[in-house]
Parts: sequence; C-alpha cells; structure tokens
Amino acid sequence: MNSQLTYEELSGLMRSSAGVRVEQATLERDPETPFAEYGLDSLGLLGIIGELENRRGTSIAGDVDGCRTPHAFVDAVNASLAKGA
Amino acid sequence: MSGRTVITGIGVVAPNGIGADAFWKATKEGVSVLDTIGRDGFDGLPLRIAGQVREFDATAMVEERYVVQTDRFTHFAMAAADLALAQSGPPAPGGSPLDVAVVTAAGSGGGEFGQRELQKLWGRGSRHVGPYQSIAWFYAASTGQISIRGGFKGPCGVVASDEAGGLDALAHARRSLLRGTRAVVVGAAEAPLAPYSGVCQLGYEELSLVPDADRAYLPFTTSARGFAPAEGGAMFVVEDEQNAADRGATARAVVAGHAATFTGASRWAESREGLARAIRGALGDARLAPSDVDVVFADALGTPWADRAEALALRDALGPHASRVPVTAPKTGTGRAYCGAPLLDTAAAVLALEHDTVPPTPHVHEVCHDIDLVTERSRPAELRTALVLSRGLMGSNAALVVTTP
Repeated sequence: MNSQLTYEELSGLMRSSAGVRVEQATLERDPETPFAEYGLDSLGLLGIIGELENRRGTSIAGDVDGCRTPHAFVDAVNASLAKGA
Repeated sequence: MSGRTVITGIGVVAPNGIGADAFWKATKEGVSVLDTIGRDGFDGLPLRIAGQVREFDATAMVEERYVVQTDRFTHFAMAAADLALAQSGPPAPGGSPLDVAVVTAAGSGGGEFGQRELQKLWGRGSRHVGPYQSIAWFYAASTGQISIRGGFKGPCGVVASDEAGGLDALAHARRSLLRGTRAVVVGAAEAPLAPYSGVCQLGYEELSLVPDADRAYLPFTTSARGFAPAEGGAMFVVEDEQNAADRGATARAVVAGHAATFTGASRWAESREGLARAIRGALGDARLAPSDVDVVFADALGTPWADRAEALALRDALGPHASRVPVTAPKTGTGRAYCGAPLLDTAAAVLALEHDTVPPTPHVHEVCHDIDLVTERSRPAELRTALVLSRGLMGSNAALVVTTP
C-alpha cells in the first residue's frame, strides 16, 4: 500500500521540483491559498506529480494537474492513491 | 521622441568580471582569464581552454525558483539584466507594463539543463525528465523569464541569427523604440561549457584545441589556431534619448548605426565583402564617415583566413583610415561567448568611450596584418565613435556604431 501525501512531503516537492519554498506549517495553516500565489505554475505542478508517481511507483489518476490549491491537490492525490491500493 | 537610441544601463557577467566596473578594470588592464576548463566531464575532450565565469553564484543573484527552473545561460542573463536595470533605474516610471520590452540573442541555448535531463532520460527513463526541460533549453528562455520576472510586457523577441545576432538584437531593440516602446532590456548571455555543449562545438573547425591558455587564441598572428570559447554576456537598458532625459537618466552612449549581412557558413574569404558591406551600412545608418571611426572592436575569429578577411574588410570599408585607426580585440583575454561576445565588446566600447582608453588585446604580441592592433597595454585616445564587428560561424556578419552622447 502506498503512503499518503502529506503537507510535509508536498513542501519538499515544491522546493525540489520547482524551487518554490513554502514551509510545511504554512501549507497546513492555510491549505486554500492557491499554488499560483506562491509562484508555482502548471509546469511546476506537473513536475511534482511526475516525481510523486516515480516515488510511489504508480500513476496518479484523476484531475490532479488541475488542482489549484494544496488542499485540493493533497485530497485528489490521496484519493487516487487509495483507489490504486 | 528624439529618434536617437541611448544606452542607460550596462550589466555584465563576463569571465573577467561581474558588473561593468569589474569588467572594465580587467579589460583595460588586459587581464586574461583563459584557462583549463575545470568542469566534470571535460577530461576526455580535446577542448581544453575556455573563458569561464568562475565567480558567478546563481543562488546569490537569482531567486531559487529560477535557479531550479532555468538554465545557466538564463541565470547569467537575469543577473546581467538586474545589473543594467539597477544602473538605469526604472526605465518607464508611471508607465504601463507594455512600455518595456525584452530582446535577447541566443546561439547555444540551455545545454547544461538539457544535458542533465537527457542523462535522466537515458539513465532512468522518460518519467524522470522534469517538465521544465520543455522551456529551459529553449533559445527564447532568457527573454521570457526576464519578461516574466520584471513584468516587462512590451514587444519581446529573440534573435537567433548566429553570433552576430548579439548586435542584431541591439538593432531590433532600436527599431522597437522607433515604434514607440519606451525602453528595451536587450543583450545576450551564453553558457556553452557543459560537456554536451563542448562536444557540439568540436565540429567547428575554427575551435582552438590548443591546450595552452597563452597560445589558444591568437588572432591576427602567424600562430592563429582558432578561437577559445567562453560563457557569459551583457545586457543593456536602451531607450529613446527623450525618454531618458524626461526621467533624468544618464545616457552613456548612443546606438548610432547597424547593418548585417550573410555570406555563408565558414566561408571566411567571402566574409571580407560581407563585413565591409556591414561596416559601410552601419556608418551610413549613423551618418558618419569612415574617418569618424576612432576605435574598432574586431571580431578577431583567430584563423588565418578569417583574420585576413577582417583586416581586408576594414581596408575596403575605411580606406586609408584602416591603417591608422586603433583596433582591439579584448576577447582574447576572455574567449568568445558566442552571441554574448559582441555584446561584451559593445559594453567594452561604451566604457572605452567614457574613459578615452582603448583596451588591449591580451596574449597577442606580433601582428601579421596591416592593422594597428592595440597590444600589451591600453592606449589613451580621444574617442567619440566606436565600431564593433561580429561574425558568426554560420555566416552572419554585423557591424554596430556606438558614439558618445
């Protein structure tokens, strides 16, 4: 079974894949702030999804690349991972 | 609108210095920074000597997101643009984002980023290639990222016309100003010293493979064996003279004339006519006579045929003045940074005009052509008009005239 995506991992991925630095605590405190406000663009989100797929060894289904906020993204990714499991 | 294009900011990221002041000090003193390429992956390559921007720390000059998302050539261009803008001040105060444009020239693109992603592709598989590869390698990347970062939404462009495209970019910017754009951030920076880029250059017969920094790049001498490549470049803020005056910005020089020609890849004998026509065209554009030229920044490719063609082109275009006017090629101390090279020469030309000093041509001692090449040390001279020449390996030729304001 694949482990769920946490805000801690997302914070790390935003930094390593796109160079956008947002603390885990910030994401947890305000998960509705759109990625765009942090300067994370659609290519950045694609890179994060690609890296997650490599880490989990499975494709992530659904409209995850259309998610605009960390909350929506974490929920959509975890829903896909749960289905896959 | 005055119709005169002036330079109000100069940003340099060069092997011999970051920032116009450091660059000019090293250039004026004839310091050479050519040396053995120290990068991983060069051990097995026959290319040994280049000009590297060793002092550059991308993380200190560019935000982390751009460090991750863009290539080294874009890091250079962004840093140079910042330096130029810091000097010029905001070029369109109170204006709209559409008032400022960005134009760059590019010759080699994002080789280092591309190599890293290609290594992932063949080493680990296509799922490991990051999406920023789609834009980071691209010739237009620096223009796009400078535009996004600075909010410059005027008519942006990229000139991909060989090394001489560096001068063509300035001409393109000048045309934008004549159409009403208030200011253009313009220039080029290249980063062709990743191993992948090094291998690509091995196909150029003009590339010097001489492994000794003192002998690798000796244009206009009987020891000419080609050119040493380099990374780096320069960005400028250019604007209409009236715009500069209205906002109280200092005009450092006038971009007075330009012309470009094309004579075919590596056809150096033919470049004589191409270069001569470009010189005549640029002088005509500037409404100046051959005798008005006070200093020439030569292309100085460094192969016997190309050097001969350039010396003869000067004779063809300038007449007897060609043997009197001081000629210099400071790039023998830094290498040729492809599209960045003629812009570094333009920066040096503006600084030379400001200091009434012709910088020397490092490493070169005995000249075998009928030109007055300034060697050994800089030469004081009253300078009002500089001619900058550039040729590309693919056959482009260009000439630019810059004058004191």
